[in-house]
Amino acid sequence: MASAAAPYPSGHAAVAARYDAVDEVYRETRDIRLVGFVLFLLSDCILFSAFIFAYVYLRNSAPAWPPFVDGRQLPWFDTSFAAFNSIVLFGSGVTMHFALENWKHLDKATFYRWLIATIVLGLGFLLGQAHEWTGVLHDGVTWPGSAMGASFFTLTGLHGFHVFVGVCYLTILGIQASRGVYTGSKYFGLTAGTLYWHFVDVVWVGLFFLFYIW
Amino acid sequence: MTEAAIFKGVALIGALIVGITASVQLKNDWQARGLDATVTKLLLGLMAFGCVLALLAAVNVLGVRGIRS
Repeated sequence: MASAAAPYPSGHAAVAARYDAVDEVYRETRDIRLVGFVLFLLSDCILFSAFIFAYVYLRNSAPAWPPFVDGRQLPWFDTSFAAFNSIVLFGSGVTMHFALENWKHLDKATFYRWLIATIVLGLGFLLGQAHEWTGVLHDGVTWPGSAMGASFFTLTGLHGFHVFVGVCYLTILGIQASRGVYTGSKYFGLTAGTLYWHFVDVVWVGLFFLFYIW
Repeated sequence: MTEAAIFKGVALIGALIVGITASVQLKNDWQARGLDATVTKLLLGLMAFGCVLALLAAVNVLGVRGIRS
């Protein structure tokens, strides 16, 4: 659709040329906004780190892990479903990367396809997390019942909230893109959305390791 | 076939596809410069690492203790 009517040549050199072909004011504000956004991601990283270190401390100071509750040792978390759900989220990271690349190469129709795929996979991950929480609760692991449950629900809940915000964010970006807010050379919002989504993916790598592998 | 085996099978195939795709994208973007490209490369690399973890979990090398009955 848009690629056929593209006023620019395609290819990496053309993408780089378009990226630089903006007015000085936009370039300066883009660079400042990018630094600000990366700082926001770093601050979010610190937020997750605080909870992760609390979990590591609680786990290392516990006499047994998984802990005992009412004389019964809690089960380990189910790795098989978590591995499956992790791939759903990591897959959405790849589709979002493809979406941004297609926007940069002025193929808007393919951009929308990959963006919708990302949103669908993000929603799929959230549904998977709801299924996982149900299973964990069924296994007797609760938020107030143990440090294991408190850490699990706090960290995966915080991450799930980030995924939900990301899904809303990407939906808004898609609507903005369809209304012409972004162009082939001015698309900082899409870059930020992609960075945010990759960040959410990478946080899950840490949580997957902590709760299901360690 | 158990439900866990199906999830692990899908995770294995998915981890291979997503991990290889992420690695190829990382290779394609390797020459890109700028803060956004650098952060993207870092995050793509970590995501590819996550795929390796999921793959090892799917083939019972990691996290074998937790299978819900």
